[in-house]
Amino acid sequence: MLLVLSEEQREHLGCLPRLGDAAVAELGRLALELLRRGGAPRALEAAARKLGVGVDAVQHGVEALTYLLTESSKLAISEIDFQDSVHVLGFSDELNKLLLQLYLDNRKEIRSILSELAPKLPSYHNLEWRLDVQLASRSLRQQIKPAMTIKLHLNQNGDQTAQVLQTDPSTLLHLIQQLEQALGEMKTNHCRRIVRNMK
Amino acid sequence: KKCVISNLSILDDPDLKDIDPAVLKHCHAAAATCILEAGKHKADKSAISTCLEDCKLDRERIEEFCTEYQKNEDALEIILGSIGRSPLHITDVSWRLEYQIKTNQLHKTYQPSYLVTLNVENSDSGSHPDVSFSCTMEQLQDLVGKLKDAAKSLERATQM
Repeated sequence: MLLVLSEEQREHLGCLPRLGDAAVAELGRLALELLRRGGAPRALEAAARKLGVGVDAVQHGVEALTYLLTESSKLAISEIDFQDSVHVLGFSDELNKLLLQLYLDNRKEIRSILSELAPKLPSYHNLEWRLDVQLASRSLRQQIKPAMTIKLHLNQNGDQTAQVLQTDPSTLLHLIQQLEQALGEMKTNHCRRIVRNMK
Repeated sequence: KKCVISNLSILDDPDLKDIDPAVLKHCHAAAATCILEAGKHKADKSAISTCLEDCKLDRERIEEFCTEYQKNEDALEIILGSIGRSPLHITDVSWRLEYQIKTNQLHKTYQPSYLVTLNVENSDSGSHPDVSFSCTMEQLQDLVGKLKDAAKSLERATQM
């Protein structure tokens, strides 16, 4: 699958050859920082001064590179497809190699950053448990009532929440049985077949 | 002599309409208190009898009271045991297995993911929104492992 770049993006990338390989490497670094931490106007200004070009040119270059890297990572395109996509820009071989290396070195990290953007439910973090036996209450003395107190730690949007829950022994066994069945599902022929065919 | 554990309003009971309502209410409250106290302390027949003797009830009435009480004492114990605050109680679990293919931000993700929902009940109001969360296979294995440890400790405790 080939990457499709818009006119504007091609134009912005078009100024890369003029800047030289070292500059392109620098812009690549800025692009990755942009993905990791968001915008950094000071860094762009510093780079512009160092390279002797306008801030706009640097910004466009970085944005275009960012797009190139994120789209390639998102689609997980192969080396060959990446090279073919970049080829249409008419860059030198060294520049093409540099861009390819930039892609290969960073695509795993970019993919993991992109995976954070997916809609998410609270996700499991940890489970703590405690066995309690209730011996008496205001309404009833002389009890022996076992209960399992559970603290469920979940992550949502970066915040950790902990919820205290309780269950009785028979429900606990039922939960274990049901969830073991759930785990077993991935090993069934049906699921295996789907996983095989989806690649 | 009616079973006072029933929910019927004693003031509407046709057999009791000839009795003065105030007296009826007092008797009902007294009987209910006696029953609840007996239930709370798991009193046996002799303890109840002694208590009722002190209240100057005759043998026949004490017998009837105790018989009725014993018929219902298990149900009473359950009701009294269920009164009280406790954390949200898990009653059931449901799960869903998905195979993720892509998101709009990332294609070819290809990984299984579980969505687990714990049905929970509040001790006061009864229902409560369920607790749902997603997890990977490894996380679910971790969760089940911990629950199994809990169950094992429960088994060991019951053997002590």
